[in-house]
Amino acid sequence: MSRPPHATSRVTRPGRAVWLGLLATASALAVSGCAGGAIAASTPASNGQSFVSGSPGTTLYQAGHGPAVPAVSGPLVGGGRLSLAADRGHVVVLNFWGSWCTPCREEAPSLAQLARQYGGSGVRFLGIDIRDSPASAEAFMSDFRISYPSLNDPSDNLALDFRDTVPPAGIPTTLVISRSGRIAARVIGSVTYDGLKSLIQRAVAEPG
Amino acid sequence: MTETSRMTETGAAAAEAGQQAAAPPEPTPPPPGPAYGVLGWLRWGWRQLTSMRTALILLFLLAVASVPGSLLPQQGIDPAAVQQYYASHPGLAPWLARLSLFNVFAAPWFAAIYLLLFLSLAGCVVPRAYRLARSARALPPPAPRNVARMPQSVRHQTGQDAAAALAAATAVLRRRKFRLRTGDGWVSAEKGYRRELGNLLFHLALLGLLGAVALGGLFGYKANRLLVSGTSFANTVTALDEFHPGRLVSSADLQPFTITLNRFAASYVRSGQLRGQPTSFNAYLSYSAQPGAANQRYDLRVNHPLNVDGVKVYLIGHGYAPVFKVTDGTGKVVYDQPVPFIAVNTSGLTSEGVVKVPDAKPDQLGFAGVFLPTAVDTGGTLESVFPAPLNPRVSLISYKGNLGMNSGPSQSVYALNTAGLTELPVAPRPLAPGQSIKLPGGAGTLTFTGYRQWASLAITYDPGQLPALIAGLAALAGLLLSFFIRRRRMFVRAYPGPGDRTVVDVGGLARSDPAGGFDEEFSRLAEEFRVAYAGETSEGKTD
Repeated sequence: MSRPPHATSRVTRPGRAVWLGLLATASALAVSGCAGGAIAASTPASNGQSFVSGSPGTTLYQAGHGPAVPAVSGPLVGGGRLSLAADRGHVVVLNFWGSWCTPCREEAPSLAQLARQYGGSGVRFLGIDIRDSPASAEAFMSDFRISYPSLNDPSDNLALDFRDTVPPAGIPTTLVISRSGRIAARVIGSVTYDGLKSLIQRAVAEPG
Repeated sequence: MTETSRMTETGAAAAEAGQQAAAPPEPTPPPPGPAYGVLGWLRWGWRQLTSMRTALILLFLLAVASVPGSLLPQQGIDPAAVQQYYASHPGLAPWLARLSLFNVFAAPWFAAIYLLLFLSLAGCVVPRAYRLARSARALPPPAPRNVARMPQSVRHQTGQDAAAALAAATAVLRRRKFRLRTGDGWVSAEKGYRRELGNLLFHLALLGLLGAVALGGLFGYKANRLLVSGTSFANTVTALDEFHPGRLVSSADLQPFTITLNRFAASYVRSGQLRGQPTSFNAYLSYSAQPGAANQRYDLRVNHPLNVDGVKVYLIGHGYAPVFKVTDGTGKVVYDQPVPFIAVNTSGLTSEGVVKVPDAKPDQLGFAGVFLPTAVDTGGTLESVFPAPLNPRVSLISYKGNLGMNSGPSQSVYALNTAGLTELPVAPRPLAPGQSIKLPGGAGTLTFTGYRQWASLAITYDPGQLPALIAGLAALAGLLLSFFIRRRRMFVRAYPGPGDRTVVDVGGLARSDPAGGFDEEFSRLAEEFRVAYAGETSEGKTD
């Protein structure tokens, strides 16, 4: 039932194979070695979307076998500091989000509701706000009545801290972390109320 | 399929090598008809695959197969467009998806084409390389019975006996570094084996090139990121605007560097005919190769990429990011950040962009704007006449309503979906830095607080680049070797002639370029032989 980690994060295959084509005709000179010559233009090369959205999907890890969560701490949106180690011993839902991202806004009501429901039963919620300004982030949190704290990550250091475990492969990404500090599940893309609820229950039911 | 169309001739050097190898020493084609057997069919299939014709067809197919990738929206490049396509073609889209047409470069049929092409090329080059290696080690053939029938030949007579004459000629050939083979009354010698080595090098380098390209395709990636001055980003998927990973790249494989754009500076020609032409772009970066590593500085310029941890970072674009602060109807600051605008013309860098304030109350707010670096009133309309920010102005159209950001497909940050929005009646007054628009109906206030510049960076990692360069140079070297070195053979036969004299027949054969300057070398060698065994010329010919 569990898919191998990283099996979900394919984005695009470049037309690198076209190089093979060049090769076949290259009976003589090799035109290799100088890809990526740059020309300054006044327009950016951009897909217009300005962020990478991962292929949606859920990865589950067996109890006790998920990657350990790195120590994460930093300044909070709205002031103060927080460290993820302070939540050890609790099931933690860690959500990477941005106020500008449509799927994040789509899932926000579900997250807010689940946080309210599970707040009394020891499940902690924590957000990591990616590529956002403090003003927009605060407006988002008050708009969706999000009661749990979010770490501010303007230069992506927190996202980088997860590179050896389960890097967020696009926004939104949600991690469910077990009481022992291991990742129990990762969801790339919008979570649904029911979907996340079952993942939380699974992590809560985990021994230890 | 005939023998002639087999891909035995790859490249000019190979063609010449093929010429001297007379017929390719391939197994004879199996007999036609039902007598093929499994092995026969396999061999036939392999031959078809490694033929030049198949390689060309595969190459053509590869080009054709890339076409849908540019006609249809692609999942990896623009997922929003794919979702829109689904919405507008509900019947057709699932079928296209089943054929992987929304993800062409990851499609199994696309992989099949390039794997077959790879196999076809490798299947051609490997046996050739093997044959060339054997040819480079081979001894010259025995001297023909009638040496005088060689294209170059001369007949000497000498007073020495046959063995002594041969020994003298052999000594000359040895001194000239010929590879020798001796027999009863003859010597044959050959030189120019480096031609075969060059040929071999060329073929192996082609294989190396294939491998290098595969390496880049499997483990390399390309990414883009637009960076406003004063901000940072880390090389991790969530921080990238575009990400095109190779097949075996996972998000954990990205080199964990962090880059800050401290300042971006562009300078332009200020006067004369070329007024407004850029003279330099400088992105002053500081970067650290990994978390905790020391910060270093780099002046990133066009074609002067930053190399960090094997990854190249290029400067590929620049523009302005006006900074907006929005206070909503409830008096709260709900937006305060620079917004990258995209240039729509290069002469004045007139740039367009949108501001979306999805968390404004009571209504969501949206603005579509134009940034003019050097605004000049030209008869009622504002135009930017110079790319540097000499007189920056922003002109905006204001909307309120539903931005469509709370559900549905992801949106471009550079476009405003006005379907759910209503335009607000605001006097079209361009804003100077510090000026505000008060929106009607208590919807809020927008202030244009200033502007920053942005740079866009292309991040490319291609582990195959250096191997490809080396392989390319090796291929070139091999090609030159095989072009400029001839293989040539000398044959000497000595036998008793009239009287006490010994007849020495000397023959020469330049393989692979009959037109080259071999006759001169032949005459020189023959002359050295004659002197060595103190003979005289009785007859000779050169072509």
